[in-house]
Amino acid sequence: MGGGSQPRVPEGREHSILLVEDDVLIRRELADYLRRCGHRVIEASSTDEAVMVLAHVPEEVSLLLCSADVAGTLTGFALARQVRDEHPGIPVLLAGNIEKAAAAAGELCDEGPELARPYDPAVVVDRIKRSLAVRRRAGGEDG
Amino acid sequence: MSRDLAESAWRPADEPGSILVVEDEILLRMGVVEDLVQSGYSVLEAATAEEAIALLDGGAHVDLVFSDIQMPGALDGVALRRFVRERFPSLPVILTSGQMKPPQQVLGEDTIFVPKPYMPGELLRIVERAIEGGRRVAAEST
Repeated sequence: MGGGSQPRVPEGREHSILLVEDDVLIRRELADYLRRCGHRVIEASSTDEAVMVLAHVPEEVSLLLCSADVAGTLTGFALARQVRDEHPGIPVLLAGNIEKAAAAAGELCDEGPELARPYDPAVVVDRIKRSLAVRRRAGGEDG
Repeated sequence: MSRDLAESAWRPADEPGSILVVEDEILLRMGVVEDLVQSGYSVLEAATAEEAIALLDGGAHVDLVFSDIQMPGALDGVALRRFVRERFPSLPVILTSGQMKPPQQVLGEDTIFVPKPYMPGELLRIVERAIEGGRRVAAEST
């Protein structure tokens, strides 16, 4: 995620944050956090799902929050570029890791409908890491 | 007491509930999720049966699984329903499809089937009844 000011959900656009993350354990925690601070969230499990949403209902999307290494035909970077080119009114947040994604979610909550974070983003990171650890112990792979 | 019974028993009676929506077509999934959220439900989403199992295995509390049958991946909705029945016996499952309804013995005796397309009001009524039924079963089993 680059430096400088964070993209914000445009005022007056009470639509959804399009959250793109292929690991369901990570996506679930981020989506739940954003919903708890009043945001509507569209969950996409791949860049292909995100492209489908943007192709059919772009007016529903107020901001794109995307994992940099998400699965799909496009990379997260390519999706971000495509959105910036084709939907310049949609701010883009590209997160390189869980901590950055949680930090971005925290800032989106600060500016969201509730104007407050339901809890510290560090809790989101902790929950995600615990879920991933449980899965590893059960024989799965990290997301 | 199994985990699902313990969690179901803990749930406040007046809380609408938490629903796991499993649907590979994102535009359909969005519509269902929005209808459920607007009706007060807490919703978890999965694009595949594998994602749904990862959520359930990860300890997500769910009062109902609502799943499409035909989905990409190694498992379909029927296989997901079998997993749920084995691991979480009192967790109700609703299966949906745009194709012909499979025989009930394939779906499972206690599995509700809703054909696509479904009217939002109809689906919400079925969801509410299924959750109430699941909570009753869980409470009776404690």
